[in-house]
Amino acid sequence: MSDTLQNTVRVTDPIERIAHWLLAGSCLFCLFTGLGLMFRTWGFIPALLGGLYAAKWMHIFSGVVFAFALAYAFVMWKKDCAFETDDAKWIAQGGGYLWKTDNLPPVYKYNAGQKLFFWFVVVFGVLIVLSGLVMWNPLAFPVAVARWSYAIHALSALVIGSFFVVHLYLGTIGNPGTFQAMTTGRCSRAWCETHCPRWLADRDKGSPTT
Amino acid sequence: MEKTEYVKLIDTTKCTACRGCQVACKQWNEMPALRTRNLGSYQNPPDLQWNTWTLIRFQEYANKNGDFKWLFRKDGCMHCTEAACIKVCPSGALYHTEFGTVGINQKLCIGCKACVSACPFDVPRFNQETEKVYKCDLCYDRLKDGQQPACVLSCPTGALTIGTKEAMIETAYQRLDQLDGKGVVYGDKFVGGTHVMYILSEDPAVYDKLPVKPRVPASVILWKNLFKPFTLIGMGAVAGMAALHYLIKGPHEVHENKQGGE
Repeated sequence: MSDTLQNTVRVTDPIERIAHWLLAGSCLFCLFTGLGLMFRTWGFIPALLGGLYAAKWMHIFSGVVFAFALAYAFVMWKKDCAFETDDAKWIAQGGGYLWKTDNLPPVYKYNAGQKLFFWFVVVFGVLIVLSGLVMWNPLAFPVAVARWSYAIHALSALVIGSFFVVHLYLGTIGNPGTFQAMTTGRCSRAWCETHCPRWLADRDKGSPTT
Repeated sequence: MEKTEYVKLIDTTKCTACRGCQVACKQWNEMPALRTRNLGSYQNPPDLQWNTWTLIRFQEYANKNGDFKWLFRKDGCMHCTEAACIKVCPSGALYHTEFGTVGINQKLCIGCKACVSACPFDVPRFNQETEKVYKCDLCYDRLKDGQQPACVLSCPTGALTIGTKEAMIETAYQRLDQLDGKGVVYGDKFVGGTHVMYILSEDPAVYDKLPVKPRVPASVILWKNLFKPFTLIGMGAVAGMAALHYLIKGPHEVHENKQGGE
């Protein structure tokens, strides 16, 4: 093994990274085509895609991809993202992001903030998929269901869109060394000691390839 | 462009249900007739369709005293001032004309069907084949040319008339006086005023498929007035907070000093 490999730890497997980018890609595509469908000022996006009618169908198909990616991500990460008692403490201390704190509980694989993000995406992802299915053919549903689906779809987009910005910041410049988790899948040993010390300790006891 | 609001007044007390307006509408707008079935009523077709923009509804009604009445109501787009359909239309296919009426440009329609469920009067109809929505445009082409809508022109009894908004509201209340108050003016008190108004011989609640208090649905208001702007405000605010965090607190660096950080 080279020096680099010895000093890095594989934190995600290829399946996780593919699922992540499928979810992220379809989500972002939906977000931007959705903004194009909702705001006249974002009309350049549908214009680039061949008009609003084309953008509508691309939005729907991307939504279908999102639905499957979400279902897979849910099954894959639900155990890693199950809450534990220490998570409340982590949240109460702002995860060490907002003020200086010395007794942040050591994190296992994902911290409470990451877990919260996961569950927000799951809950509002399910809502946006279900309401989107109604909006695909609103005439097949009672008018009250159809009407509220539009509102729920827009609310879910607001929540997912805002959390996406937080996720983007914390996954890139907000936490240097993190982005590789979703590219090569390998982060530095020091990064692991900072962000997932208990998981690293478990991993060191077991097989070095996991 | 000069804006003159027009109102079409439908005086149901003068309507004989000849359905001339239904035929004239189809003829002028070149809408095909589809094969239909006799369902035991003169109301035919049974409901508004993509190719039937106006329809005489036939209703047998007996009041509390057992007095029988055959009610006729010409149904179709009410041309709202606060039009839910225009509010939800993403493409601009639905729009307000210079007459205050709600025009529709099928070339722009992307068939999203949002207007169909948003409409408090259940008027827009979707055509599966063309993937577009259709409804009455109060003969926008004729109005532009100084002509009456086809339905108004065809009406033999004077149940259908059109004129400026102020004049027609006045006419409506004058007619109510003639009827000794035994009628209801419908259309001037909700959704900012409709550009189609009724003189009804009975209480609005009596009529089939006629909302007593039509309004832009609460879900549409939440969607368009709150969630829609907050999508950009929310994402922008979060991006701003992230930027401030980066500038004030700085990125969260790894603890390089710990053992193992070799």
